[in-house]
Amino acid sequence: MDDSTNKFTAGDDGTANQQERLLPIANVGRIMKQILPKNAKISKEAKETIQECASEFISFVTGEASEKCKKERRKTVNGDDVCWAIGTLGFDDYAPPLKRYLDRYREVEGDRSATPQRNEEDGGPSSSTAEFNPTPKPF
Amino acid sequence: MRQAGAYSGILSGGGISGRTGPHLLPLARIKKIMKKSSVDVKMISGEAPLVFSKACELFIEELTKRSWNMTIQGKRRTLHKEDVASAVATTDVFDFLIDLVHPNASGDVELDEEHVEQKQ
Repeated sequence: MDDSTNKFTAGDDGTANQQERLLPIANVGRIMKQILPKNAKISKEAKETIQECASEFISFVTGEASEKCKKERRKTVNGDDVCWAIGTLGFDDYAPPLKRYLDRYREVEGDRSATPQRNEEDGGPSSSTAEFNPTPKPF
Repeated sequence: MRQAGAYSGILSGGGISGRTGPHLLPLARIKKIMKKSSVDVKMISGEAPLVFSKACELFIEELTKRSWNMTIQGKRRTLHKEDVASAVATTDVFDFLIDLVHPNASGDVELDEEHVEQKQ
Protein backbone atom coordinates (compact mmCIF):
# COMPACT_ATOMS: atom_id res chain seq x y z
CA MET A 1 0.00 0.00 0.00
CA ASP A 2 2.92 2.32 0.55
CA ASP A 3 4.51 1.86 -2.84
CA SER A 4 1.69 3.46 -4.71
CA THR A 5 1.45 6.79 -3.00
CA ASN A 6 -0.46 8.25 -5.90
CA LYS A 7 -3.51 6.44 -4.60
CA PHE A 8 -4.18 9.20 -2.15
CA THR A 9 -5.89 12.01 -3.90
CA ALA A 10 -5.90 15.31 -2.17
CA GLY A 11 -9.33 16.72 -2.05
CA ASP A 12 -11.25 13.64 -1.03
CA ASP A 13 -13.29 14.40 1.99
CA GLY A 14 -12.63 11.15 3.70
CA THR A 15 -16.03 9.75 2.91
CA ALA A 16 -15.10 8.91 -0.66
CA ASN A 17 -13.11 5.73 -0.83
CA GLN A 18 -10.55 5.49 -3.50
CA GLN A 19 -12.51 2.53 -4.77
CA GLU A 20 -15.69 4.49 -5.23
CA ARG A 21 -14.24 6.66 -7.91
CA LEU A 22 -12.70 3.85 -9.86
CA LEU A 23 -14.13 1.01 -11.87
CA PRO A 24 -13.45 -2.42 -10.38
CA ILE A 25 -10.00 -3.52 -11.37
CA ALA A 26 -11.10 -7.06 -12.15
CA ASN A 27 -13.50 -5.77 -14.78
CA VAL A 28 -10.90 -3.47 -16.23
CA GLY A 29 -8.41 -6.31 -16.38
CA ARG A 30 -10.92 -8.50 -18.12
CA ILE A 31 -11.56 -5.99 -20.87
CA MET A 32 -7.84 -5.57 -21.32
CA LYS A 33 -7.35 -9.31 -21.65
CA GLN A 34 -10.05 -9.48 -24.29
CA ILE A 35 -8.01 -7.38 -26.63
CA LEU A 36 -4.52 -8.67 -25.89
CA PRO A 37 -2.93 -11.86 -27.20
CA LYS A 38 -3.05 -14.86 -24.93
CA ASN A 39 0.58 -14.74 -23.95
CA ALA A 40 0.43 -11.10 -22.95
CA LYS A 41 1.08 -10.15 -19.36
CA ILE A 42 -0.09 -7.03 -17.63
CA SER A 43 1.67 -5.46 -14.70
CA LYS A 44 -0.46 -4.50 -11.74
CA GLU A 45 0.60 -0.91 -12.08
CA ALA A 46 -0.44 -0.81 -15.70
CA LYS A 47 -3.85 -2.16 -14.80
CA GLU A 48 -4.24 0.43 -12.10
CA THR A 49 -3.17 3.16 -14.46
CA ILE A 50 -5.75 2.17 -17.02
CA GLN A 51 -8.31 1.89 -14.27
CA GLU A 52 -7.61 5.51 -13.38
CA CYS A 53 -7.69 6.57 -17.01
CA ALA A 54 -11.12 5.04 -17.43
CA SER A 55 -12.49 7.09 -14.55
CA GLU A 56 -10.89 10.16 -15.97
CA PHE A 57 -12.55 9.39 -19.28
CA ILE A 58 -15.93 9.22 -17.62
CA SER A 59 -15.37 12.51 -15.80
CA PHE A 60 -14.05 14.20 -18.89
CA VAL A 61 -16.97 13.19 -21.06
CA THR A 62 -19.54 13.81 -18.35
CA GLY A 63 -18.23 17.31 -17.84
CA GLU A 64 -18.76 18.08 -21.49
CA ALA A 65 -22.18 16.47 -21.57
CA SER A 66 -23.39 18.26 -18.48
CA GLU A 67 -22.22 21.57 -19.82
CA LYS A 68 -24.34 21.00 -22.88
CA CYS A 69 -27.32 20.26 -20.67
CA LYS A 70 -26.69 23.38 -18.69
CA LYS A 71 -26.63 25.50 -21.83
CA GLU A 72 -29.83 23.93 -23.02
CA ARG A 73 -31.38 24.30 -19.58
CA ARG A 74 -31.94 20.62 -19.12
CA LYS A 75 -31.38 18.93 -15.82
CA THR A 76 -30.91 15.38 -16.94
CA VAL A 77 -27.86 14.10 -18.71
CA ASN A 78 -29.13 11.45 -21.05
CA GLY A 79 -27.63 8.90 -23.40
CA ASP A 80 -27.64 11.23 -26.37
CA ASP A 81 -25.68 13.82 -24.44
CA VAL A 82 -23.06 11.25 -23.61
CA CYS A 83 -22.85 10.13 -27.25
CA TRP A 84 -22.57 13.68 -28.40
CA ALA A 85 -19.85 14.53 -25.90
CA ILE A 86 -17.86 11.49 -26.87
CA GLY A 87 -17.98 12.48 -30.51
CA THR A 88 -17.16 16.10 -29.78
CA LEU A 89 -14.13 15.24 -27.71
CA GLY A 90 -12.54 13.37 -30.57
CA PHE A 91 -13.62 9.79 -30.06
CA ASP A 92 -15.29 9.67 -33.44
CA ASP A 93 -14.88 5.94 -33.81
CA TYR A 94 -16.91 5.24 -30.74
CA ALA A 95 -19.92 7.30 -31.67
CA PRO A 96 -21.61 5.05 -34.26
CA PRO A 97 -21.50 1.81 -32.27
CA LEU A 98 -22.61 3.67 -29.17
CA LYS A 99 -25.56 5.19 -30.96
CA ARG A 100 -26.59 1.78 -32.17
CA TYR A 101 -26.19 0.38 -28.68
CA LEU A 102 -28.33 3.15 -27.30
CA ASP A 103 -31.01 2.78 -29.94
CA ARG A 104 -31.22 -0.92 -29.31
CA TYR A 105 -31.54 -0.30 -25.61
CA ARG A 106 -34.33 2.18 -26.18
CA GLU A 107 -36.23 -0.22 -28.34
CA VAL A 108 -36.07 -2.85 -25.69
CA GLU A 109 -36.67 -0.68 -22.67
CA GLY A 110 -39.30 1.64 -23.99
CA ASP A 111 -39.47 5.11 -22.66
CA ARG A 112 -37.50 4.97 -19.43
CA SER A 113 -35.05 7.64 -20.37
CA ALA A 114 -36.98 10.47 -18.77
CA THR A 115 -37.45 8.88 -15.39
CA PRO A 116 -35.55 10.71 -12.70
CA GLN A 117 -34.22 7.78 -10.78
CA ARG A 118 -32.96 7.89 -7.25
CA ASN A 119 -30.06 10.04 -8.25
CA GLU A 120 -29.93 12.28 -5.24
CA GLU A 121 -30.05 9.73 -2.52
CA ASP A 122 -26.42 8.90 -2.89
CA GLY A 123 -26.03 11.93 -0.70
CA GLY A 124 -22.96 13.16 -2.41
CA PRO A 125 -20.57 15.57 -0.77
CA SER A 126 -21.93 18.48 -2.79
CA SER A 127 -24.75 20.20 -1.07
CA SER A 128 -26.02 21.71 -4.27
CA THR A 129 -28.12 18.67 -5.04
CA ALA A 130 -30.57 19.67 -2.34
CA GLU A 131 -31.41 22.90 -4.10
CA PHE A 132 -32.38 21.24 -7.30
CA ASN A 133 -34.68 18.68 -5.87
CA PRO A 134 -38.22 19.56 -6.75
CA THR A 135 -39.56 17.56 -3.83
CA PRO A 136 -37.86 18.67 -0.64
CA LYS A 137 -36.51 15.68 1.18
CA PRO A 138 -36.46 15.82 4.94
CA PHE A 139 -32.84 15.23 5.83
CA MET B 1 -13.31 -18.60 -5.16
CA ARG B 2 -9.88 -20.03 -5.77
CA GLN B 3 -10.11 -19.57 -9.46
CA ALA B 4 -9.94 -15.95 -10.33
CA GLY B 5 -10.40 -16.52 -14.01
CA ALA B 6 -13.84 -17.98 -14.38
CA TYR B 7 -15.65 -16.03 -11.73
CA SER B 8 -13.97 -12.70 -11.46
CA GLY B 9 -16.61 -11.12 -13.62
CA ILE B 10 -19.44 -12.32 -11.46
CA LEU B 11 -17.75 -11.36 -8.23
CA SER B 12 -17.22 -7.89 -9.53
CA GLY B 13 -20.78 -7.67 -10.65
CA GLY B 14 -19.75 -7.44 -14.23
CA GLY B 15 -22.45 -9.69 -15.59
CA ILE B 16 -23.04 -13.33 -16.11
CA SER B 17 -20.67 -13.79 -18.94
CA GLY B 18 -18.44 -11.28 -20.56
CA ARG B 19 -19.74 -11.98 -24.01
CA THR B 20 -23.42 -12.47 -23.64
CA GLY B 21 -23.93 -10.06 -20.72
CA PRO B 22 -24.88 -6.58 -21.79
CA HIS B 23 -22.46 -4.75 -19.52
CA LEU B 24 -19.01 -5.60 -18.36
CA LEU B 25 -18.91 -2.68 -15.98
CA PRO B 26 -21.13 -1.91 -12.99
CA LEU B 27 -23.63 0.81 -13.81
CA ALA B 28 -23.97 2.05 -10.25
CA ARG B 29 -20.27 2.71 -10.02
CA ILE B 30 -20.29 4.49 -13.34
CA LYS B 31 -23.09 6.69 -12.10
CA LYS B 32 -21.11 7.54 -8.97
CA ILE B 33 -18.14 8.55 -11.00
CA MET B 34 -20.32 10.69 -13.23
CA LYS B 35 -21.83 12.47 -10.27
CA LYS B 36 -18.47 13.24 -8.79
CA SER B 37 -17.16 14.69 -12.01
CA SER B 38 -18.84 18.03 -11.67
CA VAL B 39 -21.21 19.96 -9.43
CA ASP B 40 -23.22 20.73 -12.53
CA VAL B 41 -24.30 17.13 -12.80
CA LYS B 42 -27.71 16.98 -11.28
CA MET B 43 -29.70 14.16 -12.74
CA ILE B 44 -28.58 11.28 -14.82
CA SER B 45 -30.89 9.26 -16.99
CA GLY B 46 -30.80 5.50 -16.81
CA GLU B 47 -29.26 5.24 -20.24
CA ALA B 48 -26.26 7.41 -19.60
CA PRO B 49 -24.29 4.92 -17.45
CA LEU B 50 -25.23 2.27 -19.96
CA VAL B 51 -23.71 4.20 -22.82
CA PHE B 52 -20.65 4.70 -20.68
CA SER B 53 -20.33 1.03 -19.94
CA LYS B 54 -19.91 0.44 -23.64
CA ALA B 55 -17.83 3.54 -24.20
CA CYS B 56 -15.44 2.63 -21.39
CA GLU B 57 -15.05 -0.79 -22.87
CA LEU B 58 -14.07 0.75 -26.19
CA PHE B 59 -11.81 3.21 -24.45
CA ILE B 60 -10.04 0.60 -22.36
CA GLU B 61 -9.61 -1.55 -25.43
CA GLU B 62 -8.10 1.24 -27.46
CA LEU B 63 -5.78 2.39 -24.71
CA THR B 64 -4.72 -1.17 -24.07
CA LYS B 65 -4.06 -1.87 -27.73
CA ARG B 66 -1.96 1.22 -28.14
CA SER B 67 -0.08 0.51 -24.94
CA TRP B 68 0.60 -3.00 -26.10
CA ASN B 69 2.09 -1.62 -29.30
CA MET B 70 4.63 0.14 -27.12
CA THR B 71 5.31 -3.08 -25.27
CA ILE B 72 5.96 -4.85 -28.54
CA GLN B 73 8.26 -2.10 -29.69
CA GLY B 74 10.23 -2.61 -26.54
CA LYS B 75 10.34 -6.32 -27.31
CA ARG B 76 8.64 -7.23 -24.10
CA ARG B 77 5.60 -9.28 -23.21
CA THR B 78 4.54 -7.53 -20.09
CA LEU B 79 2.55 -4.37 -20.44
CA HIS B 80 3.94 -1.78 -18.06
CA LYS B 81 2.76 1.58 -16.88
CA GLU B 82 5.38 3.25 -19.07
CA ASP B 83 3.75 1.71 -22.11
CA VAL B 84 0.47 3.31 -21.14
CA ALA B 85 2.24 6.63 -20.67
CA SER B 86 3.79 6.33 -24.12
CA ALA B 87 0.47 5.50 -25.70
CA VAL B 88 -1.08 8.54 -24.07
CA ALA B 89 1.77 10.77 -25.20
CA THR B 90 1.46 9.67 -28.80
CA THR B 91 -2.31 9.83 -29.15
CA ASP B 92 -3.94 13.22 -29.48
CA VAL B 93 -7.30 12.14 -28.24
CA PHE B 94 -5.71 10.97 -25.00
CA ASP B 95 -4.29 14.37 -24.18
CA PHE B 96 -6.62 14.73 -21.22
CA LEU B 97 -4.75 11.86 -19.59
CA ILE B 98 -1.29 13.35 -19.78
CA ASP B 99 -1.21 14.61 -16.22
CA LEU B 100 -2.63 11.39 -14.93
CA VAL B 101 0.07 9.16 -16.39
CA HIS B 102 2.93 11.60 -16.05
CA PRO B 103 2.68 13.14 -12.62
CA ASN B 104 5.46 15.70 -12.61
CA ALA B 105 5.97 15.33 -8.93
CA SER B 106 8.02 12.19 -9.31
CA GLY B 107 11.75 12.40 -9.62
CA ASP B 108 12.47 10.30 -12.63
CA VAL B 109 11.48 12.82 -15.21
CA GLU B 110 14.60 13.50 -17.16
CA LEU B 111 12.72 12.74 -20.30
CA ASP B 112 9.91 15.00 -19.28
CA GLU B 113 12.20 17.91 -18.66
CA GLU B 114 13.64 17.61 -22.11
CA HIS B 115 10.18 17.32 -23.49
CA VAL B 116 9.09 20.45 -21.72
CA GLU B 117 12.08 22.37 -22.94
CA GLN B 118 11.41 21.36 -26.48
CA LYS B 119 7.83 22.44 -26.19
CA GLN B 120 8.90 25.87 -25.08
